[in-house]
Amino acid sequence: MKMIQSPTFKAFSEPVVKNNPVFIQSLGICSALAVTVQLKTAIVMALAMTFVTAFSSLTISAMRQVIPRNVRMIVELSVIASLVILADEVLRAFFYDISKQLSVFVGLIITNCIVMGRAETYALGNPPLQSFMDGLGNGAGYGLVLVTVAFIRELFGAGKLFGFSVVPQFFYDHGYMNMGFMQLAPAAFIIIGMLVWLQKSLMRG
Amino acid sequence: MSDQLKSIAFTALIALVCSLLLTGAATGLKDRKLRNVAVDRQKNILKSVGLFKPNQPSTVAQIEQLYQDTIRCYALDGAGRIVAGSSDADALPVCFYVKDNRPAAYILPVDSRGLWGEIHGYMAIRSDGKTVAGFSVYSHNETPGLGGEIEKPWFRQNFVGKQIVDASGAFAAVGIAKGKVSEVIAADRQANYVDGISGATLTGRFLTDGLKAVLLDYGALSKLFRSGPVSLPAGS
Repeated sequence: MKMIQSPTFKAFSEPVVKNNPVFIQSLGICSALAVTVQLKTAIVMALAMTFVTAFSSLTISAMRQVIPRNVRMIVELSVIASLVILADEVLRAFFYDISKQLSVFVGLIITNCIVMGRAETYALGNPPLQSFMDGLGNGAGYGLVLVTVAFIRELFGAGKLFGFSVVPQFFYDHGYMNMGFMQLAPAAFIIIGMLVWLQKSLMRG
Repeated sequence: MSDQLKSIAFTALIALVCSLLLTGAATGLKDRKLRNVAVDRQKNILKSVGLFKPNQPSTVAQIEQLYQDTIRCYALDGAGRIVAGSSDADALPVCFYVKDNRPAAYILPVDSRGLWGEIHGYMAIRSDGKTVAGFSVYSHNETPGLGGEIEKPWFRQNFVGKQIVDASGAFAAVGIAKGKVSEVIAADRQANYVDGISGATLTGRFLTDGLKAVLLDYGALSKLFRSGPVSLPAGS
């Protein structure tokens, strides 16, 4: 019980559900539309994003006493951009097929407001370990949304999960069809909207 | 030290550390990245002649081995001759699927315009010089679900067995129909078209033009194959 109430754990758990960056803060929606056609890309994107938010928060928090106030945003961006490029390089070297599918969206993590937002509002005012956990939590919260949306889109849009067919041929033989609409960006918008609705009504209860 | 000087010194230090880190990562991973790009190209060449099935799990080493065993690349000089290597600026690259020491198909790089950007891929023609052996796409910017379907197996598979010549044997290229071939194309021209993608008329039109241009560029080679067996020069 003690661990669950510690500020370090809270820094991680709050953004996952209660203060989810996508649902509550409405951040990072752009990439949530783009990379959620398949589960595989969504998971890799979520991992890359979590890596960047966690380590940028850690680095910035560790330097928070020495960063001159007037250049703090430039410093934050340098740290974030370096980490993003690092993640992109690793993907290109080890997961080439997935990095090809993610194309520009890994690079665009730099412009994802979640990263900068956490650095500005949290990491600058809190100790490194807590900031790291906060970054991890925000990445996980973002990832949770991404994976949920991708699960729904891949299942109904292509009848597959992780690229494997899960809708039996029997269904297709009897007139079931994949929803082509699920493959398009507006579908992700609608799913996210419904998830926000669900999350809000659960939280109120 | 004044505040301003401190800010400048701090940012300079951060920039230095970040650039060192990134340079290290980029150089350290360079070989792996280049190898990935090369293997991806090889994979698509193999796909165009039907040697690499989609969703088939293959390791990098397996692909490289298969490529080495079956594909040989040459250049086509200005006079349409197959040469091992050419310094000629307008020499065209061409690869062959070699089976029992004979070319079973020739593979042409396709660089076409698309709706949102360029489409890159390969088209393979059988050694009769007129039947398409396959088609593959390795890079494009078309809309996912619409024009993006050009890279999907169902669309690429439709090219197999199509003709680049008409019934009389004259060059006709292979194009993408607007709709189903059986409904919109005259019976005697159906061998020159594949089914179109609904919602991607423009992508189809651009790719049709691109394929025609490529097939025209390599027209001399197709004629050479149509006129009889072709033997490849030694070395590649």
